Amino acid sequence: MSHTIVLGVIGADVHAVGNKILHYAYTQAGFFVVNLGVMVSQEEFVQAAIESEAKAIVVSSLYGHGEIDCRGLREKCIEAGLENIKLYAGGNLVVGKTPFKEVEEKFIAMGFDRVYPPGTDPKTSVDDINKDLASL
Amino acid sequence: MNIKNKKLDLNEFMQIRENVLLDWPTGKEVNLEEAFVFQKSLPAHLSFSSLLADAKKNQYILIQPRAGVAALDKHIELLQYLQDVGTADCLPSTIDSYTRHKRFQEAQQGLEESIVEGRSLLNGFPAVNHGVSGCRRLIQSVKVPVQVRHGTPDARLLAEITLAGGFTSFEGGGISYNIPYSKNISLEQTIRDWMYVDRLIGLYEEQGISINREPFGPLTGTLVPPSISHAVAIVESLLAAEQGVKDITVGYGQCGNLIQDVAAIRTLESLTQSYLEEHGYTDMKITTVMHQWMGGFPQDEAKAYGVISWGAATAAFAGATKVIVKSPHEAMGIPTMAANAQGLMTTKQVVSMLKDQRMPLTQELKAEMSIIEQETRSIVDKLFELGEGDIAVGTIRGFEAGVIDIPFAPSKFNKGLILPARDNVGAIRFLEVGNLPFSDEIKAFHAQKLQERAAYENRSVDFQMVIDDVYAIGKGKLIGRGSKGEQQ
Repeated sequence: MSHTIVLGVIGADVHAVGNKILHYAYTQAGFFVVNLGVMVSQEEFVQAAIESEAKAIVVSSLYGHGEIDCRGLREKCIEAGLENIKLYAGGNLVVGKTPFKEVEEKFIAMGFDRVYPPGTDPKTSVDDINKDLASL
Repeated sequence: MNIKNKKLDLNEFMQIRENVLLDWPTGKEVNLEEAFVFQKSLPAHLSFSSLLADAKKNQYILIQPRAGVAALDKHIELLQYLQDVGTADCLPSTIDSYTRHKRFQEAQQGLEESIVEGRSLLNGFPAVNHGVSGCRRLIQSVKVPVQVRHGTPDARLLAEITLAGGFTSFEGGGISYNIPYSKNISLEQTIRDWMYVDRLIGLYEEQGISINREPFGPLTGTLVPPSISHAVAIVESLLAAEQGVKDITVGYGQCGNLIQDVAAIRTLESLTQSYLEEHGYTDMKITTVMHQWMGGFPQDEAKAYGVISWGAATAAFAGATKVIVKSPHEAMGIPTMAANAQGLMTTKQVVSMLKDQRMPLTQELKAEMSIIEQETRSIVDKLFELGEGDIAVGTIRGFEAGVIDIPFAPSKFNKGLILPARDNVGAIRFLEVGNLPFSDEIKAFHAQKLQERAAYENRSVDFQMVIDDVYAIGKGKLIGRGSKGEQQ
């Protein structure tokens, strides 16, 4: 099914390679991808999701500031009336080597639905998105 | 277009300077005359230029980590550890990403939160927030030269503060810190802002204080063919030299195929030297830096040491002046102090063991050097042509036309038409040449190299090949073979 997905790299992060690969993989998987590229603010994610009527926002962060940059995104979505939107985050989300379990708990507590460690095969999130959005 | 590759007029520089120093309150601490006196008072062993000259003369390879945390005391502790335990020959201060984008207020919050939490929430050292006095405390706490390493499109205030603070080397450039590091900033803007940085360094040079400049070689760090990064390094060297910079270290990110990497380092130095001389800059000191593999790393630390060691060996065989070292935590992001030192020790062991071995000039090496030279010259010469002799103008027009093009770059001022992929022995070739001004012969060479691999793997030459190559080293291979061509 052709789900609409908002994709981007949050904050002051300019890591573009994974973003280009995810864009390619998600398009191949049949999703309609609204790719905001790098250095995307929370407001831009929310705005793009409203405009495109997206069902999911996929946030990447590779540079370590993801923890600061992602705080409050769920609240912003709720304020904008996107109560049911699915939020995904992946990459090197905190500064320094941290057990992934801790990172995952931190981001789930922030309101993300799923969290991925660095180097995750794009297929993993494709399968999850298909599963999560099928029930909506 | 209102830009020219011409030495900035001093009055104009001073006028711009007044505004630059207002960007953050610590700008007020910078007094150029006093900064010259401070730099002159520093002992010779803190000078990057002296260290590089010594390494080049005596043919040993310097090792340098990347490192930076938010709080000053913690950062000093980190650098001292990398110097004493890691045996780093020279040190960095890697600048955090908020500072790189001049978000000094956010850097300040991150710094304060880091102090409260006792761990760094920033991915580097916010040098502007620490100011001249903070930088000086840092420089005077270590025994080796320290370089500013960052990724800042507009680094004017950062340069003012860190140079006054006693740093003796400054990484970056108007292209290499724009196209791979920003989205919406024009090249005209960043080239102009970096002319300022280079002019500032030129002023230090005029006082007899040599500050090393290092154009950032690896660009996007992902399968960048040597001729692309060489062209950028040469252009940035020419731009820097015009503003009065005298000491340049040109850089290159390891690709993974030994012959290609050795050929790249050797041609990088000779081509840079030759372009500078052709354009009348004859009193330059040129050295090279090789960055250990900049792409995705294996998660497993033992495997990561394998990648690090191969980078160290390659730098030694190539005869680079300096090697930038990765850590076993690379796949997970920013390393702990201990992991960072372990990457350094691994590298030191290898470069020391290989100190007396350099790769001889074989037929294969000569052939690879010739390819890189032809490609680089065709790009750089085309840029001069497009600029009607002015390399600043030509570079801006060249990016617009895609005559120079960087793979995987986030900037909208980059054409993004080229695609790299590995050939059957792992050298990086062009899968798509886009608008690069290559001869038909060169284009055919790349097509044939990739066809060889595709035939071996029984697959087609396409974007999937590129993706497989991006992930390959993280998965324990150099070449992202399709399943049919996989070697066990």
